[in-house]
Amino acid sequence: MSETQDFEALTRYAKAFTGLTPEREACLLEVSEQLQPLLATVTDKFYEQLGHIPETAPFLEGRVDTLKKSHLAWIQSLFTGPFDISCTELMYKVGDIHVKVHLPVEFMAGAMSMINNELILLVIEQFADDQEKMALVLTSINSITSFSLFVMQQSYQESTVAEELDKFLRISGMSRVLFTNLANAYSD
Amino acid sequence: MRADMLSTILNELNGSSADIEASAIISTDGLTMASALPEGFDEDRVGAMSAAMLSLGDRTASELGRGTLDQVLIKGESGYVLMAYAGSESVLTILAKTNAKLGLIFLDVKRAAEQVANLI
Repeated sequence: MSETQDFEALTRYAKAFTGLTPEREACLLEVSEQLQPLLATVTDKFYEQLGHIPETAPFLEGRVDTLKKSHLAWIQSLFTGPFDISCTELMYKVGDIHVKVHLPVEFMAGAMSMINNELILLVIEQFADDQEKMALVLTSINSITSFSLFVMQQSYQESTVAEELDKFLRISGMSRVLFTNLANAYSD
Repeated sequence: MRADMLSTILNELNGSSADIEASAIISTDGLTMASALPEGFDEDRVGAMSAAMLSLGDRTASELGRGTLDQVLIKGESGYVLMAYAGSESVLTILAKTNAKLGLIFLDVKRAAEQVANLI
């Protein structure tokens, strides 16, 4: 995980973009009790759908049960918080791990789209009688899943660049200090 | 003191041939230790670029089975850049004119590199 990342700033930045406001955070906490028992189904359906995409197979083989546990814990945390720097750090770490296991970048956005689709159906079913509440829950869920994706993509991008730089340094034989001095010499 | 002695080596090197236009001694990390560069040359860039090229040359020689690197020579439209190790921790770089007598320059650079290596 990045040692130089300013997670407070990243949290503010991600919240500003995704509209994860205190009101929406409160909404997620409020509906948590009602939705928690149903979230395992979302995880099951998510992995069932992934199973129909041939490109995901190498990343799932023999690991589905373990992955499901992590996924369910994460999806439950979307409704329990805290929606602070610790949440950002966790998602940043997830993005970093995705680079280390060479997960294609499009998997993150694709997976989040699948999860959102399932959660939307769930919310419509649960809050059909209260349109106003339903709208708030939907926008809140959209905000928190977008927040997660935003941070993961940020991390993914930075980890990818770091990994490529490591590879370049290894191949070229250049030391990190030399690379830094070279970059500094051309910084303006 | 050592900086003065390094500068003396460079001035003597530049004076040994009218074909040598500039020279510099650089750490393998790309930081300039001494230089005799014409106006307009950025010491930091010359230093970092030279060390980077030598490092890449070192790696290329090794990867392509050419053994230990002796020097890196770049020929451009307006002249040559020659880089050679001066000991294990420094690099000697010279810029030479397009019609330079390379044989003499190789010799002068080798001597100067040995002097630098002994000093550092």
